[in-house]
Amino acid sequence: MSGAAGSGAGSAGSVGSVVRRFLVEYGSGTPSRLKVLDAYLLYVLLTGALQFGYCLGVGTFPFNSFLSGFISAVGSFILGVCLRIQINPQNKGEFQGISPERAFADFLFANTILHLVVINFVG
Amino acid sequence: MAVPGPRLRVAAALSVLLLAGAQALAPSHRLTARDLARLRAALERPFADVQAAFYSIVGLGSLGVRVADEKAACNFIKSHVDSSSVDSLFYAAQSIQALSGCEVTISNETRELLLAAVSEDSSITQIFHAVGALSGFGLPLASQEALSALTARLSKEENVLATIQALETASYLSQQADLSGIVEEIEDLVARLDDLGGVYLQFEEGIETTALFVAAAYKLSDHVGTEPAMKEDQIIQLMNAIFSKKNFETLSEAFSVACAAGSLSRNRYHLPVIVVPDGPAAVSHHQPVLRLQVTNVMSQPLTQASVKLDYAKSASSKATVLQQTAFTLSGDVFELNFMNVKPASGYYDFSISVDGDKRFIANKVELKVKVSTEVGITNVDLSTVDKDQSIAPKTTRVAYPAKAKGLFTADSHQNFALSFQLIDVNSGAELIPHQTFVRLHNQKTGQEVVFVAEPDSKNVYKFELDTSERKTEFDSASGTYTLYLIIGDATLENPILWNVADVVITFPEEDAPSTVQSKDLFVPKPEIQHLFREPEKRPPTVVSNTFTALILSPLLLLLILWIKIGANISNFSFAPSTIVFHMGHAAMLGLMYVYWTQLNMFQTLKYLAILGGITFLAGNRMLAQKAVKRTH
Repeated sequence: MSGAAGSGAGSAGSVGSVVRRFLVEYGSGTPSRLKVLDAYLLYVLLTGALQFGYCLGVGTFPFNSFLSGFISAVGSFILGVCLRIQINPQNKGEFQGISPERAFADFLFANTILHLVVINFVG
Repeated sequence: MAVPGPRLRVAAALSVLLLAGAQALAPSHRLTARDLARLRAALERPFADVQAAFYSIVGLGSLGVRVADEKAACNFIKSHVDSSSVDSLFYAAQSIQALSGCEVTISNETRELLLAAVSEDSSITQIFHAVGALSGFGLPLASQEALSALTARLSKEENVLATIQALETASYLSQQADLSGIVEEIEDLVARLDDLGGVYLQFEEGIETTALFVAAAYKLSDHVGTEPAMKEDQIIQLMNAIFSKKNFETLSEAFSVACAAGSLSRNRYHLPVIVVPDGPAAVSHHQPVLRLQVTNVMSQPLTQASVKLDYAKSASSKATVLQQTAFTLSGDVFELNFMNVKPASGYYDFSISVDGDKRFIANKVELKVKVSTEVGITNVDLSTVDKDQSIAPKTTRVAYPAKAKGLFTADSHQNFALSFQLIDVNSGAELIPHQTFVRLHNQKTGQEVVFVAEPDSKNVYKFELDTSERKTEFDSASGTYTLYLIIGDATLENPILWNVADVVITFPEEDAPSTVQSKDLFVPKPEIQHLFREPEKRPPTVVSNTFTALILSPLLLLLILWIKIGANISNFSFAPSTIVFHMGHAAMLGLMYVYWTQLNMFQTLKYLAILGGITFLAGNRMLAQKAVKRTH
């Protein structure tokens, strides 16, 4: 999976081919469970970015609402990434004692606490 | 008669105290002529019944006043007396005794009734009234029997009023009987008096009881021939309390005060003396004589007394200017010409003693007397002094009350100076009054500046105006100022406000303000508008609504992606734990929404604990089943 293509010239073409190669490898090499999770992560990312862009556009009032929404997005993204790492079968060696179910339960628990705090802060 | 020994010792102790500078208690209240008139008016009411008649007749008698119409009073009593009541008989008997030419015959039954009342079974009031009635009617009375009944009852009735009545009763009994037991009650009663601030001494029962006590104590003491066991300070305190009451609500109150006044002005042992100045205690050249009224408590002048000035000391220097001089009696007042010793003006402490009768108490008095004089201003010199000392100062002499002719100038080259001396017109001595002010009044703007002129070591007052030093006081306002000299003091009879001269003051130009603003402190100040907190700028609703819709678009993208990837729920087993888990999870999400809208953290945590517990257990079960399914 080493998209070498290192012609070094940095032309858009080689970057484009790297990206294309990556997408092909991703599409074929990733289990669908992980792809579902990745879609979720993309969603959270987009939501966070949109919130941030809105705040830049119209100002930070009310600041607490912006913060809680943004941190919700960021926190969810992080927890999602953790879940992905833990259930990736390629990482099984590093997470001996933690089954995917356990990872999912942890994910749910952590999300509950995060969103409890987020709702408290949103005002 | 009283043993001279204790009296002499008391007098010696008192004089030692006075020499040591301690202030003996001075009477603060007495019956002035107006108070006496009010008391008389209170007593001279038409009689309502025999008791009221008794209060009026005997009360007025204590004040030394005879009832207006004695015949009518006598007839009233004779017609209204109730022969079956011991109290009524007592009032009648005492009233008749006070009136002259009033006779009444007493039947045997009445006499028996009265004699029967004198026994251990009657209350002290009954015994008192019976004994008083028998004595008033001139009937024979068994003193020893009465005394034993009284003593027996006293041990049972311990209140103040009963004891006072016992004292009164004893004063009707024969002197052969041994009344010492009753006399000792006076001392016990004195111990029960309340001291109020060291000035008043009275019973907690009130002024009336206190006054009755004083009257009864002196009546018994005079009867028995023993001096009452009361100290001079206590007597004065009792006086202060009794005569502090100027308005009398009831006849009995007026009666009690009248009896007390009468007994304090006419007993064998103690005569309180009141010394008050006639008019203000001030002398001057126009009024050189200090006049004193020396009276008893009923404002009757004690013309037999000899009033002497022990010493008169200056209040400031404590030097004695006069001692051991007698006052002369002129009419009803005692006079002393104090200006004969030519005292300097100021305040003097006088110590005066009133003698002539061994019974006098409170007869050493301290008085503060003011000596006033007139002030004269001499040697008034106005000069303009050149700052460079190159030109000799020009001095103009002015005489009071003339005004100096011409204008004086004070500017950057010259200072204006004023010097004068203040003397006592009558004695020629130099004076230092309290107020020596120099007032400069701007004729155009109305500004005025006041300075104090200070005396130097030779008691010459000097004032110098340096324009550069004083420009802040004047606000650098140049112009013509009128100069006034103000002299005043409490001991001056002629305070002075003298327009001495006009002074033109010029301040350096660069400091002159365009207008002089009058510092008016009492105009309304500019109103302060409260600045309410501005609400934050918010984007228009359209924008935020658009954004809300926009933020939901990633969710749409997510669903599309999931479908594309092929996420399926085909493995969804309808096991109970699965359902419970999903329901619980959904409920937790719903709880989050409710928390946002309604609940507080504590409530949410409570519900979350319940829901979370259920969800956890169900989820645990479900995931375990899934794991089992996976490994198989």
